[in-house]
Amino acid sequence: MIFILIIILFANIQAQTNDPNEIVKSVITKFSQVNDYEVDIDIKVDVEFLRVPESRAKLFFKQPDKVKLKSEGFALLPKDGIDFSPSSIIKGNYTAIFERKENLNGVQTSVVKIVPINENTNIILSTIWVDDKNSIIRKVESTTKTQGTYTLELFYDNDFKYPLPKQMIFSFNLDKMNLPQTFTNTTPKSSRRRFKDGPVIGKVYVNYSNYKVNKNLSDKIFEEDKD
Amino acid sequence: MLDLISIELYKIFKKWRTYIGFIALGVLVPLIHIAMVLEGKNTINFMTRNIQESFVFVGNLLNTYLISYIILTSLAIHIPFLITLVAGDLLAGEATSGTYRLLITRPISRTKLIIVKFIAGWIYTNLLVLWLAFLSLVVGYFIFGTGELLIIDGQMIVIFERTDVLWRFLLAYGFATLGMTAVASLAFLFSSLVENSIGPIISTMAIIIVFVILSAIQVEFFQNIKPYFFTTHIMSWRLFFEDPLDLKEIFKSAANLLAHIVVFFGLTLFIFKKKDILS
Repeated sequence: MIFILIIILFANIQAQTNDPNEIVKSVITKFSQVNDYEVDIDIKVDVEFLRVPESRAKLFFKQPDKVKLKSEGFALLPKDGIDFSPSSIIKGNYTAIFERKENLNGVQTSVVKIVPINENTNIILSTIWVDDKNSIIRKVESTTKTQGTYTLELFYDNDFKYPLPKQMIFSFNLDKMNLPQTFTNTTPKSSRRRFKDGPVIGKVYVNYSNYKVNKNLSDKIFEEDKD
Repeated sequence: MLDLISIELYKIFKKWRTYIGFIALGVLVPLIHIAMVLEGKNTINFMTRNIQESFVFVGNLLNTYLISYIILTSLAIHIPFLITLVAGDLLAGEATSGTYRLLITRPISRTKLIIVKFIAGWIYTNLLVLWLAFLSLVVGYFIFGTGELLIIDGQMIVIFERTDVLWRFLLAYGFATLGMTAVASLAFLFSSLVENSIGPIISTMAIIIVFVILSAIQVEFFQNIKPYFFTTHIMSWRLFFEDPLDLKEIFKSAANLLAHIVVFFGLTLFIFKKKDILS
């Protein structure tokens, strides 16, 4: 009985730890049970300057950082949202700082700031919300040098087997894009369609379904298409 | 009536100048196809360079739809020239070859003659646009296949689903025919005034070029009168590549072009009926 109590107490201490490095490590360890996956994705883009039809695609992932997007038609995903694996979100050398505990949509999370040490990285600062109970990332907020700020919200099934989300909402804040003047830039309303000054705000909704996890995906899938 | 139209078409297609337009498009469009095979990826990269900074995308954007769209934009200046080659010769050609008097002595009214010649010119215009559509869309399909259509619309990137594009092209080509018929009507009008087809060809092209230049000048006066130029509405086929369709604008443009056709045709008829045939 005492032994069980000690185990429960120890597990609780582990879960409630405020050590940022431990929190990050626990997330990476949890995700390491996924060696590869293949998933169907539905993408809905809601961006002021971009009108894209809803699309369906397949996303392939293999540890540590191989990602491939495939689609029979046109599909578009934010670069920073294509790979939600912790090793992609928290890559390179960094300093982790525990910020606070926060209840995020009814889930107890630890908020950790990640400051990259490497100057070559585009990210200036990331904040991650880590689910204390499941050791999964629920939300990421990153400020970049060139692409403004983006937020990645991840939603999971209640009884997930692997730490893979069922939905992702990618919100971003970009400086206005200067689109090239091309031969297709000629529609009659072009001169009328002007957006207000200031950063462009957008959201991309990605729904994941039919995960096939740890099926030992071939490396050939991730090779560049030679078309 | 059908016999008369057939005779006029026979006369049109007997002249080698009629084939200049078909040959020109038959050379131009494959050249664009070759250029796109070689450089198309760079073109797509250039068009999408801004979104590539923030997004990863897959799909065949270099497809027959994009290339057909690019080719269709040449309608403003280049295709009208090919139209005027024939339309400007419809009446003036008779004067040049000295067949006017012979033609008028036949037992058909001048009104009927003008209608028949106009219809023959209209058929040629349709055939030329159809040829353009065939070369662009059909030949392009076998080279590039289909895919989503990418358009940069001012400050916006619009991508149309591949299943949402073909009907837009069919309507756009239909509308382009209307625009080209307006050009043909103007050349036909000038053709009734002179006895040499060079004049109508040059006059029509001069008017188109002047109107296009005036439309491009960002001065309030010119911008105010721009909506009344038929050249402004020739390019309104692009309205079919907006989502949702601006039907009001489409009908407005179509009405403007139709009004020009009716006025040009009416003037031609009036002038020709009053004309003293001396040659």
